[in-house]
Amino acid sequence: MSAFLTLWRKELTTYFLSPVAYIVMIFFLVVMGTIFSLLVSVLADGPAGVTVMNLLFGSPFFWMTMLVLAPLLTMRLLSEEKRSGTIETLMTAPVSDAAVVLAKFAGALSFYVCMWLPTALYVFILHHFSAEMAPPDFGPLLGGYFGALLIGMFYLSIGLCCSALTSNQIVSAMITFAVMLVLFLAGLMDYVARGDWALAVSTHLSSYSHMLEFSRGTLDSRPIVYYLSGTALMLFATVKIVEARNWK
Amino acid sequence: MIEVAHLTKRYPGRVAVDDVSFRVNGGEIVGFLGPNGAGKSTTMRILAGYLPATGGTVRVAGYDVATDSTEVRRRIGYLPESCPLYGEMRVDEYLRFRARLKGVPRAKLKSRIGEVKERCGISDVGSRIIAHLSKGYRQRVGLAESLVHEPELLILDEPTIGLDPNQIRLVRSLITSLADKHTILLSTHILSEVEMTCRRVLIIDGGRIVASDTPDRLRRRMEGEATIAAEIRGPHSEIHAALRTLPGVSDVLLEGADSWARYTLRASREADVRTAIFELVASRGWALRELHQEAATLEDIFVNLTKSDKLGIRS
Repeated sequence: MSAFLTLWRKELTTYFLSPVAYIVMIFFLVVMGTIFSLLVSVLADGPAGVTVMNLLFGSPFFWMTMLVLAPLLTMRLLSEEKRSGTIETLMTAPVSDAAVVLAKFAGALSFYVCMWLPTALYVFILHHFSAEMAPPDFGPLLGGYFGALLIGMFYLSIGLCCSALTSNQIVSAMITFAVMLVLFLAGLMDYVARGDWALAVSTHLSSYSHMLEFSRGTLDSRPIVYYLSGTALMLFATVKIVEARNWK
Repeated sequence: MIEVAHLTKRYPGRVAVDDVSFRVNGGEIVGFLGPNGAGKSTTMRILAGYLPATGGTVRVAGYDVATDSTEVRRRIGYLPESCPLYGEMRVDEYLRFRARLKGVPRAKLKSRIGEVKERCGISDVGSRIIAHLSKGYRQRVGLAESLVHEPELLILDEPTIGLDPNQIRLVRSLITSLADKHTILLSTHILSEVEMTCRRVLIIDGGRIVASDTPDRLRRRMEGEATIAAEIRGPHSEIHAALRTLPGVSDVLLEGADSWARYTLRASREADVRTAIFELVASRGWALRELHQEAATLEDIFVNLTKSDKLGIRS
């Protein structure tokens, strides 16, 4: 456990030492901030049936950002260790492969959470400067953050898994992006195909519609199971890939 | 401390380590010598628990590397050949991180890090970013890292590679000074390094151990026959014939056909033929201007053991 905590701390520190992480964070906050201000100005004219937070989390902009963001945050994780050879000292320290993988995941997720933290200001702003959220509606708000967390977990674990496959960060980022894009497009299946199966694929895989639901404050267990099990599967695969050096 | 039995490592289409067995006792400094690609690094990686063996067993401090990997890793300090470090971290940060990872208790952290920094001569760069350090400093940071948890066994893969002569000397004396507390296995392809630091040498070639002894004894064993060089002036064929008949001489080689000729004799080491040669030359009235027995260097031994079979050359 102490090894895990040490590794996790190191991962998180490394994020804050890396320019990529700051670029990603700035990019993310600029996008979210712009959307937020646009939505607020649109809604400022009159009462609407939706809340700002709902629109914020449900907007396709959030989506596009995630597609770019997750590969950038995770591409370095294991591939850089492989490239620089530090994987050798890491794996000969008295730590298990699983601890290393979980610590890297926890590090990435923590940074992801840190990235979201400033958006809590939006709630504060709304609360103080508009009538809409007085008293604030915590359901959609928490739902939205919860959904962002779940989806973040899943996508970051995909990225981690891809970075275990290669010693090249760019390759890692590209594979991650491709996998995420496939999942994202599969979620839009019912736009291009007819039939029950297309609809089923869409409802189960479309993170876009999941996000819409979460940000309405509804908790459906199916997407929760989907993201959690997907994350677990990806982490399991990553541990196996890291262990794979033992099979040669 | 280390017991290796029938260790084999196969890669697809290539045998990197082939049925290697050896022992290293506690407190020894053992040099692992071999040409590039002989299987040194592979063996060390297996010992450190990074790679699994295809066959055979490796025990470190009584623990099997394959089944008790974590126990083994607690007891070794391993410095890989490329000396990998996290370039974005500061030296102190890095040592702290590695020490915690290797289970150094929080209370001892500061004193341990201070001690290894002092020992490795990096006390003045503690707050520098590793990526900005010179190769010599980085190598010593790597060495400090491998020492930080006071391991019983140090496995150092080419610890002096890429250093300038002063730094090499520093690292060597550091390694020698570590011998009182640690068992050390170090690999190198620099022979003088082994002669200076190691009490025992393992020579590996083509994945096999071809020799294991002290540098001195290796030299003696290698040169069961002494090589003696003599420069003599006189009738060549007569001298050649006379030298051949000396007791203990097995072979005489003649070089140069001027008045002075150089004779290279192979003779048994016990019967020191140098006196006999002198007496012979004196009694026949020839002239002698050089006579010496060549000491085999470790380099000769190395070349002999690792090259002769492949290239068909015998020196």
